[in-house]
Amino acid sequence: MNAPDADAPLVERVKRGDVKAFEMLVVKYQRRIERLIGRMVRDVDLVPDIAQETFIRAYRAIPKFRGESAFYTWLYRIAVNTAKKAMGELKRDLLVTESARASKDDEDDAPRAENDATDGETPESLLASKQVAATVNSAIDALSDDLRQAITLREIEGLTYEEIAELMNCPIGTVRSRIFRAREAISLRLKPLLDARQGHRW
Amino acid sequence: MSDNLATNSASAERLSALSDGELDAQGTLAACADWRDDESARARWHTYRLIGDVLRSEDLASTADRDSSFLLAVRARLASEPVVLAPEPMPELKVESILSSFDAPAVGAINRRWRWLAQGAVAAGFVAVAGSLTMLWAPVKNADTSASLAAAAPVATQVINSYTPELNEPQLLVANGQVMRDPRLDRYLAAHKQFAGAAMIGVPSAFVRSASAEAPKP
Repeated sequence: MNAPDADAPLVERVKRGDVKAFEMLVVKYQRRIERLIGRMVRDVDLVPDIAQETFIRAYRAIPKFRGESAFYTWLYRIAVNTAKKAMGELKRDLLVTESARASKDDEDDAPRAENDATDGETPESLLASKQVAATVNSAIDALSDDLRQAITLREIEGLTYEEIAELMNCPIGTVRSRIFRAREAISLRLKPLLDARQGHRW
Repeated sequence: MSDNLATNSASAERLSALSDGELDAQGTLAACADWRDDESARARWHTYRLIGDVLRSEDLASTADRDSSFLLAVRARLASEPVVLAPEPMPELKVESILSSFDAPAVGAINRRWRWLAQGAVAAGFVAVAGSLTMLWAPVKNADTSASLAAAAPVATQVINSYTPELNEPQLLVANGQVMRDPRLDRYLAAHKQFAGAAMIGVPSAFVRSASAEAPKP
């Protein structure tokens, strides 16, 4: 039997009308869904919109989600369908776009390069993302063995607390604590990168 | 001051456990309240999830600015969506609690438990139905012996749900997008006399799945 779906508690909250709980799932899966859609849709401009559409469709369809698959599996399928639909609509609009672009290019000296990252990604933010990755890696290396092992077993191996407790030969409460402390230690190192400005953002 | 630190630490630990799906219902409730009320909790959840993603794959790295913009956009769109409500599928336990309330000796007891149904003429009809239901079968504890439980379930379900449209109780109205209608109850009331002999009531399984017999919490 598969491990229980880690998202089940939050999905249950959403089903009871807690819209805000759905936001937690959005933040959790936004990056993965964007990456998935980015592989399907060539135009990076469209990725955030299609990703947002995916989450809205998932939200509307939550009553139909009955936990027969993991939530992310279900969300993944919705993302694929949403991207396909968007691409289908794109093909229909292609003739219009092409003719519009043709006339625009006459005036435009510097046509947009194909791999411009215009989905909110500037060269600066790409660099910032790389810095985030580098910081996480060095923070992981700096952890004590226990903390590193606990968070690695959880995040990379996907084991439950119970399974990790068995592997590490410690109580479940210790597992929970070690994973928490690992996250806190890494978060501390990320703080300068992520908290660039004050003010309400979330 | 130390209280705040302790509270923040407890809140952070809850978020950590919740992101692993290892938090109980009560803790989940508290964590969701934190998400709603505390921006730093939202930022923390994002950081935790970002860490998890990056550990698995570096190309999932992102910035808080980018990710929060995404959330804000989705939040704005969610604001104009009707709130979805989906009752849980009815487990045997809930059927038992209904059936045991049918066994209550006094009509008053039934009325107290189901007082949210007891509105005007509906109450009399319901009680009459409940009275006749008690005579039809005994509560079945064991799910294994449950041809009768399966028969019981749809009946209890049907009764409860047929009354909900009038009450505008959203938990019971929205049942997988299906709203139960009164004409079914009319047919049921007319037909219930036949149940004494029937081993199985031919109720479509979708009907059973979509029902919730949980009374709204007072």
